[in-house]
Formats: sequence, C-alpha cells, structure tokens
Amino acid sequence: MTESVVLPAEQQAPLEGVITGEVVRMYQEVAEHPEGEFHFYHGRQAAELFGYERDWLDRAPPGAVASFAGVGNPHLRSRIQPGETVLDLGSGAGLDGIIAAWQVGPLGRVIGLDLNPTMCRKAEAHAAASGVRIACHEGRMEDIPLPDGSGRVSITDIVSAKQLSQSIVNDPKLWAS
Amino acid sequence: MFALLEDAGFNRVRSTVVPGFAFRKESTRDAAEAYGVKAVLFTAQKPAR
Repeated sequence: MTESVVLPAEQQAPLEGVITGEVVRMYQEVAEHPEGEFHFYHGRQAAELFGYERDWLDRAPPGAVASFAGVGNPHLRSRIQPGETVLDLGSGAGLDGIIAAWQVGPLGRVIGLDLNPTMCRKAEAHAAASGVRIACHEGRMEDIPLPDGSGRVSITDIVSAKQLSQSIVNDPKLWAS
Repeated sequence: MFALLEDAGFNRVRSTVVPGFAFRKESTRDAAEAYGVKAVLFTAQKPAR
C-alpha cells in the first residue's frame, strides 16, 4: 500500500518491522489455511476475477491455486518470451511463477522473491509438481536478487489516491491486506 | 515503486490499474473506495549488460 504520510525516522523503522511481521503472518495464514476467509479475495475465485485462463488454473497444482493471493493478472501484459528470465516480486504460492515458467520454457528461468519463507518453499514445491523450476529467494523488494543478466519483473501494488489517515498508516493489519 | 525498480537496474517500467480489483470484505471495500484505493500492476525489464 502506498501513501504520502511521512513519519519521523524514529517512528518509521519500528513501524516497518511491525508491518513486515504482519505481512508475513497474513500470507503464512493464506499459505497454510487457504480454506480460511480473508478480507481480500484469494484462491481460484481471485484468479478468475482477474482473468486468469481456466486452462492455467486447471493445469496448475491445486495448492498453488488455492493459496493464490494476488491482486491482478500480470500475464495479460507481460508478453513473456521463451528463454527469458522472469522475476516475480511477491511470488506467493507460485501460481504466477509456474505460468511464467510454462512460457519461458526449458531455456528460460523463473526467480521468485517473497518475504515469507513458507510461501517460498510452497512455490518451489508447486513448481516441481508442475514439472518446472522456480528458484525462490526469501527477501525484500529492496534487495532484488537479479545481479547479472537481463530479466523481466512484475509486481502488483495497492495504492491510494488520497492521503491516508494516521490511524490507517499505523495499522499493520491494513498494510498486510 | 518506479524508483525501486529503476534503482535495481530495470527500465521500461510500466504501470496499469487493475480492472475489477476489489476487496472481498464489504467494510474494507467501502473504506478503500473512499480513499481511492486501486491495485496497480507494474512490469519492467532489465536489459542484458
């Protein structure tokens, strides 16, 4: 979530730590209990809402689909080519990475990046179950693991057109949504 | 997000609002609409060196 309120430095760092912890906790819940209810759409319902092809959703491992927690469909615009390297920021349970791996083929590669180690391991396992490979790194978007060579990246973010109130900015649960 | 990607060596950073995005929970959806909250998809490319 993006906003225009700037906190003093002494408040910023602790708040970022709390927000990071809440984001990890929230998506751990989606990874481990995809049958649960969240205030965002997830799973196949979300993927269909964003226009994912049904064939992809039928072909991907059920666990990757069930724990999908994206807020958009990067494949509508990404124009991925065979042999390319794709970096999925916030790779989650691996659905987007698996679809990308199908498109880049055996000469390409897919790198995932996620704050949540459980999601990373799930993404790799789901990819393996699909016959493709995702190398998932646990980490932050501020440290993108693509030091050499070329690649494509996709990320979906939530942004606000108005300045958010301080109560919203200071609520980690809302950031995690 | 633009700065983050460009600082990491990516260019051709593109953004587009995701059509049809909404929160599932009604109260969250209402609050999000009041603040003009959108989902935005970013794509970028890192050229070969």
